[in-house]
Amino acid sequence: MRPDLMPLSRAQRLALTATSFLFLVIATMALGPLIAGSGWWWLCAFIAAGTLFSGFGLRSIRTPPSLVPVLELVVLLLLLTLLFGGGTSVALIVPTAETFETFGELMAGAQRTIEQQSVPAIPVPPLTFALAVGIGLLAVVVDILVQTARMPALAAAPALVPILIPGFIIEAGAELPTLVLTAAAYLLLLRVDVRVRRRARLAAGEEGDQAATVIAPKRVPIVSTLGASLGLAAVGLLAASVLAASTPSVSTSLLLGSPSQGTLFARGVSPFIDLGRDLRRPEPLPAFHYLARDGDRPYFTLLTLDRFEGEVWSPTQTAVDGDNTVDQMPRPDGLSSAVETSQHPIDVVVDEVRTTWLPVPYPTARIEGLEGSWFWDDGALTVRSVDTNTGGQSYRVTRLDVEPTPQQLRNADRDLDDELASFLALPEEMPAIIAETAVALTASASPYDAAVAIQAYLRGAEFDYSTEAPVEDGYDGGGFDVIARFLETKAGYCVHFASTMAVLARESGIPSRISIGYTQGSPTDQRVDGVQRIEVDSHDLHAWPELYFEGVGWVPFEPTPGRGTVPGYSRPGAGEEGAPPLASAPPTGPGSTGRPDVDPDGGLAGQVADPVATATQLWIRSGVVALAVAVLLLLPALFRLSQRRARIRRIRRDERPADAAWDELAATALDLGAGGNGGETPREFAARLAEREAFDDARARAAIVRLRDAVERERYGPAGGGTAGAAASGSLVDDLATARAALLADAVGAERARALLMPHSLVDGVRRVLGGRARAGA
Amino acid sequence: MFRPRPVRVSAWPRLTRRGGSLMIVGVLLLAVSLWFDLRDVVLLAFVGIATPLAAAVFVVVRNPRLAVTRGFAPAVVAAGGWTRVAIVVKNRARRTFDGAHWRDTVPEGLMGPAESILPAIGPYEGVLPSGDDTVRLEYRLRMPRRGVYSIGPLRIGVADPFGLARIDREVGTGHEVVVTPRVTPLDAALGSAASIDGVVHGLRRRTHPNSDELIAREYRYGDPLRRVNWAATARRGELMVREEEQRGDPEARILLDTTLSGRSEASLRRDDDEGAHFGFELGIEIAASIGMHLLERGFRVRCTQVADPERGVIPGAAFGGAYRTPGGDRMLLEDLARLDRPGRAAWHGTGAAQSDAHPRAREARSPGFAVLVDPDEQDARALVALRPSFEPAVAFATDGVSRLVLDLIEDADWRVVRVRRPAEIGEAWSGIATTPRERPAHAP
Repeated sequence: MRPDLMPLSRAQRLALTATSFLFLVIATMALGPLIAGSGWWWLCAFIAAGTLFSGFGLRSIRTPPSLVPVLELVVLLLLLTLLFGGGTSVALIVPTAETFETFGELMAGAQRTIEQQSVPAIPVPPLTFALAVGIGLLAVVVDILVQTARMPALAAAPALVPILIPGFIIEAGAELPTLVLTAAAYLLLLRVDVRVRRRARLAAGEEGDQAATVIAPKRVPIVSTLGASLGLAAVGLLAASVLAASTPSVSTSLLLGSPSQGTLFARGVSPFIDLGRDLRRPEPLPAFHYLARDGDRPYFTLLTLDRFEGEVWSPTQTAVDGDNTVDQMPRPDGLSSAVETSQHPIDVVVDEVRTTWLPVPYPTARIEGLEGSWFWDDGALTVRSVDTNTGGQSYRVTRLDVEPTPQQLRNADRDLDDELASFLALPEEMPAIIAETAVALTASASPYDAAVAIQAYLRGAEFDYSTEAPVEDGYDGGGFDVIARFLETKAGYCVHFASTMAVLARESGIPSRISIGYTQGSPTDQRVDGVQRIEVDSHDLHAWPELYFEGVGWVPFEPTPGRGTVPGYSRPGAGEEGAPPLASAPPTGPGSTGRPDVDPDGGLAGQVADPVATATQLWIRSGVVALAVAVLLLLPALFRLSQRRARIRRIRRDERPADAAWDELAATALDLGAGGNGGETPREFAARLAEREAFDDARARAAIVRLRDAVERERYGPAGGGTAGAAASGSLVDDLATARAALLADAVGAERARALLMPHSLVDGVRRVLGGRARAGA
Repeated sequence: MFRPRPVRVSAWPRLTRRGGSLMIVGVLLLAVSLWFDLRDVVLLAFVGIATPLAAAVFVVVRNPRLAVTRGFAPAVVAAGGWTRVAIVVKNRARRTFDGAHWRDTVPEGLMGPAESILPAIGPYEGVLPSGDDTVRLEYRLRMPRRGVYSIGPLRIGVADPFGLARIDREVGTGHEVVVTPRVTPLDAALGSAASIDGVVHGLRRRTHPNSDELIAREYRYGDPLRRVNWAATARRGELMVREEEQRGDPEARILLDTTLSGRSEASLRRDDDEGAHFGFELGIEIAASIGMHLLERGFRVRCTQVADPERGVIPGAAFGGAYRTPGGDRMLLEDLARLDRPGRAAWHGTGAAQSDAHPRAREARSPGFAVLVDPDEQDARALVALRPSFEPAVAFATDGVSRLVLDLIEDADWRVVRVRRPAEIGEAWSGIATTPRERPAHAP
């Protein structure tokens, strides 16, 4: 019996179980920054406790150790049924076929919600289900490692899973106190294990004649050892903290690609990638279509960017507020009752677009008919989901049609709330040309006039719509350096127009933001119930500025020449001539949409890598993946090789050398399918081997006979009698090599390859360990 | 006799398997965290690296203060017997000593107990000792072979509280256990009654001519008839025997072949690899059996080398290798226990020539027993030269004795008795008594 596998008393098992439970739930706390609230943690603790302590109970009624993990999984299943099965279960905990269907749906939802939720995520049922399953499985693994394999040090591996996840998702990673606590819990687990192990060994005593009797003192104060443990743990943790704090950040992520581009563990969920991908398609994909009365041709907003940090526009990352359900959306910011509004329903059917952001017009009063959990964001009123996406959605949006008059806009109050300050924020240093242009354009009095002037300037004849120019001249994107270049060269596409207008508006004191979404699309001839069906495809992706006027709220503008529709209120001289607010009918012909053939709006998505770099990264990544797969495949071979090395070392070091040599020979035979020596005496085994063809050779036969004699002498001869010198061990190694070579020569190529890559002896060894444990614990 | 095992006591701490793997995991984790720029995991990576290192420093700094006393019961043990090793470990520090393993250092060839747990020991109790600062360890040790073994020092493996690093320290010193050669009890009556007693009688008579005056005692069953003191019998009217012979001071001589000078160079080298030379051990056993038997019978026994008959079997043996009854038996056995197997340099003393020069008077002849393992011709000549001073002269020859040597000494009227195994010692001894002039039946 291995000294590690001394039978443990019930109290010792309980101590180990309790400590592993503590360790696991503390490690789970690392997920705290990712998930809102704390209810999920209690749930995880409940699941972990149920699994681990059921394992303890099973062990204390002497269940065979190999059965315990299986039964723990059953307990986990019952607990999951109790918590998530709902009405599908029998007697609350017994799952039925329906329960498994529910679980499948929850798993699918969990995958979506992990992909889509932003941080901190709302613990919707699919997410908590995934957490519960994960923690339950980790608990089973921890239990196997701590109780069955008795290797608590390895329990760090499963506990690392919840700790590593935050690091991939949010910049800050797991919180420092949690990490320190986890490390402390880990050390506690090690300490408890050391004590339990010592106690168990002392209690078990030794067998045999030579066994020592140990007469221990009756009472030993343990407090002073406690101090040593605490001191050592403190020193270790402190040293680790100091080292961690003083380590410079070495980011080599360029080699592997930025982790933020992964979908599963994205740092914040961003639809930019989807957008960019869609935009780069040469053939447009149908995004969605909608049915609306003739007057309703709104832009559909997916996402609003309000933060301008010099280089890139980005949305403010806010957590989803679970109360903001879409059945009742608030009145938009700043809209006073003086402005005429009306509500019109629009039926939207999503075709191909798959994002977590719902295309909705701004502003929207309510949305009905959605599947999954959708929530609106404060301010921008954009709608996103935490556990599903737009795929296959069909919903009715009640659009709030705001029809401000130019007069209302012109009379807007100049005094703005402090809340809007962030919409005026600009980087400290900006190219002079931006300020100069702003001053030149906005000499006129009111913000409204300034906005109209900016739009008119950008839509003027000087500016060309060009998708190629920015890329060729190398000023693609939305940063202010780009804006400055754009103002000089006067050629660009919607990204440039929108960001330029937004920056100029901010420069002249008007709060601004950029919306990303779809233009109104192309009407079809099809009419359903008297309303027109309008197709929107991926080439209708667009970006446009929205400006804020007190009393009216956010108002869209269209500075990009040749795209979309220009709102009536934003035309120069609108209102004065009494022109109808929505005079410009939506363009109908395919040419008149002014859509570019290819619209690389991807510039908004921040750094989109150029294709060459992407290809290189792809190569590197696939190389890394291939390497990892190769290493995984070679792992058994490596294990086997190191085992052989260890045995040869044992031979050389004279630690039961013949035994080691014999073991190695038997393992080689087993690997090659020649049958191990399970149950056979060395003599029988050697006789069987010697019958093989390769052992017709006298040298090989002599080698195997010498090996056999050596092992018999060592196993059955007088103890200490087989002490051989270096020469003997050398000859043992030689004999072993000869015998192995003979065995290998005997085998066909496929057998040799299998012996190398999938050594059967390893499997057998594992099985023996498990079986032996089953007997030992029973 | 024994080769002390090169004890690997590292003054350096080493990481346990757990500590080592924790450190490897830490390094891997550090690489991963730096690669992916996961600042949070850096901390855990450093916990993995720093904690084993701190543990290693801890075990170095925390030097335990232990006092170890060791006793053996019995301290002198016959080969093949058991001795009980009792170790008392006392904690001399003010702190509880915990987290240690112990293992006694045992020379190669002996099976010491496996490493096991040393229970926690309480702090040192200067006043009112309750025994909580003491651990008693006991184990039985089988001593298969003759020799002097140094048991100890105690090796204490101190681990840190988390089992990440350990250091092996040696506490106390080694103590010797003497393992004496096995003694075969010989048939006492035969030894005294037959040939030897006659010589002693003669010796006594010669040195004490007026022995008749000595006190006689009444006859007891078993007394040889020729001891009957007829004069006293006549005076007292009952059967009286001479008592004085019991108080005599007879001497016997044992010549032990310790040099094995007859061995060839090749066999010398091969023998060096083995633990013990079978014939040599057998010779020592024969010598020990005869010596003990004679000492019990009241003889003064001189045990010397064949190659140099004036030297004791081991350098520095008391009285030139002479042993007397009170205490002499133990000394003889201990000296034989300490007898080292000869190295390759077989040397010859000049004593053979000297004893040639001073042959003892024929009347002063004493019993002589030569135990031959592998003597060369020169040894044989020395024996031949000594033959006149012995009566009887018996040579016990093991298998290794060459034909040439046997012929030589047999020609000189040594009686040769072949002994092949330790079990034959008793039989061989009886053989010399019953069939004085007959060659052993199982001669080759």
